[in-house]
Amino acid sequence: MANVVGIDLGTTNSLVAYVKDGVPVVIGGEGGDPLVPSVVSLGDDATIYVGREAQRRLLTAPGRTVYSVKRFMGRGVEDVRHDAAMLPFRVSGEAGGVVRIGIGEREFTPPEISAFVLRELKHRAEEHFRSAGEFDFEVDRVVITVPAYFNDAQRTATRDAGRLAGLEVLRIINEPTAASLAYGLDRRNRGTIAVYDLGGGTFDISILRVEDGVFQVLATNGDTHLGGDDIDVLLIGHILRDVGAGLPAGTVQAIRKAAIQAKWDLSDHLDAEISVEPAPGLPDGYRKRITRAELESMIQPLVDRTMEPCRQALADAGLAPKDIDEAVLVGGSTRIPLVRRAVQELFGRPPHTELNPDEVVALGAAIQADILVSGRREMLLLDVTPLSLGIETMGGVVSKIILRNSTIPASGREMFTTGIDNQTAVDIHVLQGERELAGDCRSLARFRLRGIPPMPTGLPRIEVRFQIDANGILSVGARELRTEVEQTIEVKPSYGLTEQEVERMLIESFEHAEADFETRMLIEARNEAESVVQATEKSLRRPDFADLASEELQAGERERIDRAVLELKQAIGGDDRELIQQKTHALNQATQHLAEVVMNRTVRAALSGKNVDDVG
Amino acid sequence: MTPDQIPLRSSSALECRNCGEVAPLDVHFCPQCSRILALGRHGDYFAFFGLPRRLKVNAPDLERRFRELSRQFHPDYFYNAPPAERLASLERSSYLNDAYRVLRNPVARVEYLLGLEGLAPTRSDEARTAKVPPSLLEEVFALNEELDEIRELRESGVDPSALRARLATARKPIERRRDEHERQLQELSTQWDERQERVTLEALRERMLERNYINNLLATIDREAGAIGNS
Repeated sequence: MANVVGIDLGTTNSLVAYVKDGVPVVIGGEGGDPLVPSVVSLGDDATIYVGREAQRRLLTAPGRTVYSVKRFMGRGVEDVRHDAAMLPFRVSGEAGGVVRIGIGEREFTPPEISAFVLRELKHRAEEHFRSAGEFDFEVDRVVITVPAYFNDAQRTATRDAGRLAGLEVLRIINEPTAASLAYGLDRRNRGTIAVYDLGGGTFDISILRVEDGVFQVLATNGDTHLGGDDIDVLLIGHILRDVGAGLPAGTVQAIRKAAIQAKWDLSDHLDAEISVEPAPGLPDGYRKRITRAELESMIQPLVDRTMEPCRQALADAGLAPKDIDEAVLVGGSTRIPLVRRAVQELFGRPPHTELNPDEVVALGAAIQADILVSGRREMLLLDVTPLSLGIETMGGVVSKIILRNSTIPASGREMFTTGIDNQTAVDIHVLQGERELAGDCRSLARFRLRGIPPMPTGLPRIEVRFQIDANGILSVGARELRTEVEQTIEVKPSYGLTEQEVERMLIESFEHAEADFETRMLIEARNEAESVVQATEKSLRRPDFADLASEELQAGERERIDRAVLELKQAIGGDDRELIQQKTHALNQATQHLAEVVMNRTVRAALSGKNVDDVG
Repeated sequence: MTPDQIPLRSSSALECRNCGEVAPLDVHFCPQCSRILALGRHGDYFAFFGLPRRLKVNAPDLERRFRELSRQFHPDYFYNAPPAERLASLERSSYLNDAYRVLRNPVARVEYLLGLEGLAPTRSDEARTAKVPPSLLEEVFALNEELDEIRELRESGVDPSALRARLATARKPIERRRDEHERQLQELSTQWDERQERVTLEALRERMLERNYINNLLATIDREAGAIGNS
């Protein structure tokens, strides 16, 4: 059976985790670091770089490197203009449509960019399972986390990203809820928990009641546009005021990197140095001390902005701060002492920080994935929909059908009728948000109910049923009650991809995946070939080689080796993976005898008391 | 948002779709094959929870029942089940969540019961409540006069704290009426639970309509308080 994992698809970093013998663990990369920067870069040769490598390219190829793409998921170009101005890559799209990100000559939608990150995590997990000796190391199913305050379009975009990465998305779950699951493992007792989640780009607050292993979210609130990124922007602005604007993008990225480092340092120290190496437009570099107090006065307004959602969530849950038994911190930005103090003051108790705030969400996602596939029943998440769902009625007023903080799955119905005789179709506009007017809410989709039997005005009774599933994603059904005729619904998502677009991208991504796979194989073949060439050349450079050759090599053997090395080097220069592998094999064959001779000499030297290194 | 079609509910949903056994109303799982039953014809929110149609509900007991039923139906536990059972789990969970939201709120509970008993307020009732209920005539008259004066004073720039005090005094009699109203709702609810007489429901219905009016009055006062705060 192929494997399932949980993925925290973050604004800044992403992680993958799985449940091993009942315990959730994160999967580290080569250096053991589980964080994969959510950065994607497109090389000039169309190679896709993801993670650390892509992050390094921010300095050298800023215009071809995308980060913080989570801020664009499920959004329209008019929503993101402000963010786009801060970022080095090109953002475009039609008004009222999906955002498109231009890199070089190609254009991507945010789900496609996120799919690259997901594919990298999938690959990482598969390598982990493969090296653990699992016969079926494939990862085919996943639970992905999203901010609790994500709307339908943002959730759907995340699910699309999973599909584009070749994963079956078992469930989309909310980050704070996932975190509570990870904390809940150790403490099965009852209580009311507040989860304060300040990540790279989003802020969530969730209030949960835990009893008998049921994690019931009472209320949630947040801001999908508030996080560590905003702190970085303030610090960068602070530096740019000193050095002047109009610097090349790569230099701005170097400044950003230094700003982030200073931010981290100030979580552990009372002062830090912002240090930028000399770069184009900044010939002398930049150095300046900054104190924690300075940073705090800079970011105080951002921290204050998290307090109102907290109070609103408490009010919606019908609770006062003193009713909270435990507060939990999630997200890298909660390492900031000012944030910790604010949470402690609000809830009147020190928050929990036992689990790594970067990892706790992925751990929770892994637990939920395990629950779904194993049928384990000791824990159950009952989440809520963060925003009210409604439809536009006369005069642009929104009629609410499912209220915010309703436990999901949730359903609602609304009756419609016709306005003119023999009308056979009705248009419906679905929105999400708390405001009274449609123009102030988030447009989710428009649809047309067709196939209404011709009848006099007002006679048809069309029941439209809205169903929010356990992912917080909406589906719609309708029928005319007098005739029991099921209506056809065509959905045009306002800020999402249509089913056809996802299908098309899926096909393209398979084609690319094959190309990506080929690229990876080619790189691996080249690496292997180069190490064989190096080993051979090292043997040929041995100080005792002349002696060795005359005593032990056969006539023409040296020439055969030289020719094989030359041919392999030529193959490495090309793109033909099979040729490289073939020539690697040939060189291995040609040096087999030499290798034996060298090995014997080395062993003899060792036995006679000489250090092997002296010989080699 | 996805264009998934929600399948029609069959009217013969009392039959288990798996084994054909006829299941009694308000049973969640087939007595024969123990598969989850499609949400077909059913009684009501009360019956779904295994509760009688009473207005007094023990909150911790309701919560416990909610958790137990959640553990039985939740889609998490039907991930590997056949599509029909997955749908049944989704529908049953949605219904459970809707039922819980209504039953745990005392006001929503009364409104729901009135609807069940065929006494939901109609459009003409709502039009009627736009007018002042006779029992409130005196208070409403006094309040409107006072609000007019306060508004005028506010616009002429009188000290907000003095106005706030006047507004608080004006709020008192309305609050008293609301408290009295709540008491009456309580009493009528108890009466219903003891005797289940239609006349009690009709009285409850009148109180609910008046309640809307009182709440609107309080909201008007709060809006004025907001205006003073901003001036």
